[in-house]
Amino acid sequence: MVKSSLVRQALILVALAFVPGFVQAIFFWDKVSWRSPVPASEMVTVTQARAWGENTIWVDARPDNEFARDHVPGALPLNEDRWSELLPQFLAAWSPEKKVVVYCSSEGCNASREVAHRLHKEAQLANVFVLEGGWEEWLKEKR
Amino acid sequence: MNDAPTIKHQTSNFLNFVWRIVDVIVGGIFIYAGAIKVFDPVQFAIDIDNYKILPWPIGVGLAFYLPWLEILCGLALILRRLYLGGLSILTGLVAVFLVATIAAKVRGLDITCGCFGHASQNWNFSAHLALDLAILGALLALSFRVMSGNRLQDAV
Amino acid sequence: MKTHIFAFTLSIVLCLTARAGLKWDQTAIELHPTVTDKQAIGHFKYENTGDKPVKFKSVKTSCGCTAAQTQKEEVPAGEKGEITATFNIGERTGTQVKTVTVETDDPANVTTVLTLKAVIPQQLEITPTFVFWGQGEAPKPKTIVVRAAKDFPVKHLKVTSSSPDFRAKVEETGNGQFKIDVQPQETNRLIASTLTIQPEDSQKIFYATARITNARAVQ
Repeated sequence: MVKSSLVRQALILVALAFVPGFVQAIFFWDKVSWRSPVPASEMVTVTQARAWGENTIWVDARPDNEFARDHVPGALPLNEDRWSELLPQFLAAWSPEKKVVVYCSSEGCNASREVAHRLHKEAQLANVFVLEGGWEEWLKEKR
Repeated sequence: MNDAPTIKHQTSNFLNFVWRIVDVIVGGIFIYAGAIKVFDPVQFAIDIDNYKILPWPIGVGLAFYLPWLEILCGLALILRRLYLGGLSILTGLVAVFLVATIAAKVRGLDITCGCFGHASQNWNFSAHLALDLAILGALLALSFRVMSGNRLQDAV
Repeated sequence: MKTHIFAFTLSIVLCLTARAGLKWDQTAIELHPTVTDKQAIGHFKYENTGDKPVKFKSVKTSCGCTAAQTQKEEVPAGEKGEITATFNIGERTGTQVKTVTVETDDPANVTTVLTLKAVIPQQLEITPTFVFWGQGEAPKPKTIVVRAAKDFPVKHLKVTSSSPDFRAKVEETGNGQFKIDVQPQETNRLIASTLTIQPEDSQKIFYATARITNARAVQ
């Protein structure tokens, strides 16, 4: 007796909770990336980025010394250590029809995502992408 | 003349009152915990993802669903409607959460935020564990009480 | 029910006693650097509660902005020490989480992840930090909204333009909010200006950029 009413009540609660949960999910539909922690549209592969050709601005989010050692040809440095110093020169090279591709050392490092996020949120630039695999992946594709 | 039954009645009333307080406190805790997470589902999704047990899309779904389930079950406890169902769901939730927390700790993941969202981010593992065990204890005590048939007719 | 509680308690006890080597005071530290701090330093203290010396095989940080140092390579039994994690704030904002992964030769505790969370105070929120006009676009004013954080009330905002080609006008809109109207003299040349935004009584300076870009686009 108790068991069946317990199950019945539990099922009612479980079902009821779907309603506000679903409504809230609708509200947040485009504010949440449903498939991966970083929205899929924000990531781009080396091949895709190179296919964009001249329309691409490459942004190197790694520390200064790594940039100095080697970087994607034509890439501009932009990191969070010297953000306000490096941003103006990046903006000078930017124009609305360009696509910005930000990279850091590899898939695991977070700097590219953070720089891309700031360009998107603070400077409100559209078409800002994070390079999948980062500098490591670029080196692989170069061969 | 009939003192014995009156005292027994008073004691029983007092005990029931105490149990009701427990209902309200525990229910209130879950409503609070749920409400905090309702306001920032994205952060909760990230917190779930930190346990590295579930794939991201499922975590996001849970982030939108679980807080409301907590609120509804907390209300069930306080209002004594669907009481049994609410009690069993909450007990299950806390148990699963405890296992996940211990599993994360064993794997070396450092999880400091959990059922209280980012409000509890300053607490350490032991404090979290202690609180969760206390909540589980209260839930189990309430369950025992219902099982022993004391107030079965009140639990609608 | 009772057997479940027993199993739980047992597993918890087992988990907690399994760590016989290095015991950490805290594996997660939250720091609150001030507005003028350049670094946030976390001291992760440990003690070797085992009976064998523990050697650090590697100490790696999650990013180049964080350096972690261990005072000693090997910790004798019973000894205490610490791993110092220094996070260079740079111009980072918001809550930054950096980790230090420590590998030891202690079989019960090979990898430990130390988490350093720095909550960087944000005095002003500037939206957007970049306004632009396409070449040939009508030189109408564009607005930058500046919001002061709740813990940092700002009475007055000083805004200067690095170039006379751009004019910036500040207006207080109440509730700790300001709006800056930026207007270029003309949009035919590819000119630019750095706007310096400084709250009264503050040492910190914030920036925004205004420029003419070489495409006919409306922001």
